[in-house]
Amino acid sequence: MKMLSATLMLVLLAAGPARAAADSCDVPDNLVETLARLPRVGLSVKRDHKLEILVLSAAPKLSGEANSLKSYPYYLENELRERLKGTDVHVFAQSEPRKTILEVAKDLPRLLSERQPVLVIWQTGTVEAMRGIDPDGYGRALDSGVAALQNGGADVVLVNQQYSPRTDFMFDGGPYTENMRWVSQTRDIPLFNRYEVMKYWGETGAFDLTALKNDGTYEKVHTCIGRLIADLVMRAASLSGTVER
Amino acid sequence: MLPAPPAGRDLRLDFFRGLSLWFIFLDHVPSNIVAWFTIRNYGFSDASEVFVFISGYTAAFVYGRVMNERGFIIGAARILKRAWQIYVAFVFLLVFYFAEIAYVSSHFANPLYTEEFGIFDFFQKPDVVLVEALMLRFLPANVDVLPLYIALMTFFPPVLWLMLRQPDFTLLLSIGFYFVAKAFDWNLALYPYDHSWFFNPFAWQLLFVIGAWCGLGGARRVSPILNSPPVIALCALYLVFAAPLQLSWLFPSLSGRLPSWLLILPLDKTGLSGWRLFHFLALAALVIHYVPFDAKFLRSNWARPLILCGEHSLEIFCLGVFLSFSAHFILTEVSSLIAMQIAVSLAGIGLMVTVAALMTWYKNIERRGGKPPPSATQEGFGGVTAS
Repeated sequence: MKMLSATLMLVLLAAGPARAAADSCDVPDNLVETLARLPRVGLSVKRDHKLEILVLSAAPKLSGEANSLKSYPYYLENELRERLKGTDVHVFAQSEPRKTILEVAKDLPRLLSERQPVLVIWQTGTVEAMRGIDPDGYGRALDSGVAALQNGGADVVLVNQQYSPRTDFMFDGGPYTENMRWVSQTRDIPLFNRYEVMKYWGETGAFDLTALKNDGTYEKVHTCIGRLIADLVMRAASLSGTVER
Repeated sequence: MLPAPPAGRDLRLDFFRGLSLWFIFLDHVPSNIVAWFTIRNYGFSDASEVFVFISGYTAAFVYGRVMNERGFIIGAARILKRAWQIYVAFVFLLVFYFAEIAYVSSHFANPLYTEEFGIFDFFQKPDVVLVEALMLRFLPANVDVLPLYIALMTFFPPVLWLMLRQPDFTLLLSIGFYFVAKAFDWNLALYPYDHSWFFNPFAWQLLFVIGAWCGLGGARRVSPILNSPPVIALCALYLVFAAPLQLSWLFPSLSGRLPSWLLILPLDKTGLSGWRLFHFLALAALVIHYVPFDAKFLRSNWARPLILCGEHSLEIFCLGVFLSFSAHFILTEVSSLIAMQIAVSLAGIGLMVTVAALMTWYKNIERRGGKPPPSATQEGFGGVTAS
């Protein structure tokens, strides 16, 4: 027990100062690497000089034209415009707050015909995890949803739930992320593991993700997520013009 | 240092149940790096299977003897008393859970987590939620193996009655029930959305009954088959097949390179998929084969903390869930750095062992009824003689 309390003290001392680290988006490569490709994105940029992106989620704040938002769709649009000079990049965010995948899936045909996206960034899993719906059924619904998007002419990038340390013990997103990984592999599409990326930032002290009130972390985190997803799209679509950082 | 285990008891049960309790605690601390040590990362099954199987084994062993010696009524009453204790433990944990949620929900206003605010929706109707929770129709995450245990114990008296008479037939019934439930998608519904129990009791009863069947002599009867070289080799092969698959799953860069016919993951935990069940059975067969009843290390000092925890499984399970709430609290309020995760994990396990040791010590004192100890050389708590 003495050993234990000594260790605990040491750890407490060591843990203190690391909090105030610089805000950098950097994460280890293995957290964001992908083997899947985005062929339709590559073709659309190279041939038509156009990139129409739809961000689909159940997040209340991710709704509307990206340039009217101060969240990651906006930063994603900016990043891609900066990197793809001469390409008309447009991002639209469609949110269906508090709806599970079964309800969202019904809207896919309408969204496809209205928005004509070449790339759909589909953030999902949070509502389902909070409600505890059957992970197996979730996987099946996601799989057919992705198939519908692909048949409708869009590439897909899946994004899982974010890391929310305050509510982490109340629901377990693990089974849903596992199903997303399964769909991403069988459908050969990238999965952006937002949960692990943010957890890395929290654990290394890059961002303090535990604040109860608005402390400006929102914009910083979304800036970084927008940038990392832009990186991923550039790589997976084999596009040159990546800005070196 | 720690109280010695009683003689004549199969210490393997306590040892591995203790280990599963440690693992359940570590897995329940959200995003804990120490959870890398637990078996869920190296195979299809995890600590839940170990816990349910051993619980079935010991329940049949203990209450089977009571039912044989004192009749069905007394045996059933003992089992239901145990189910009631587990229910009380569940309600106890629920209070802590609600307290933590209430705290977070009333202070939480960070726009980064607008979507996660939805988790507090159920708090809009506390009257309904509390009643539903008491009726086991509202189950918070991390506590859900307890309701499974309650359900299994509540229906155990008739199962045990039949099993004492027709063990193999009972096992067959259980297997049949497992498949029927699967075919008809049976599970218990939960408030407030159309979802159901995470541990489907209609599926998980099979593992509990397999445990009970083994506890009543089944294990002895099949041991010639289980110990035959081809079966042992088959079990080992299956574990060797599962480990890299499960590990690759955690490293997307590896799993992306696997051939598509190997994409059998993720496995259904709610319905206890066959892949998981056989993984656990293979693991159990190997453990029984390589760890004999009287293995020396089971009586060694380093095994004792685990055995102590295993002896008080219900209490230590509840303590573990409570500690995982506390660990989470420390990780969010103080620091979530990796060193801190290691520290709270070690501290939690230390507390689990300490409490288990205290309980054994207290039980020994109670048993002696306040009389002086029969022998001064008997080992007691804290390295001093028990008195």
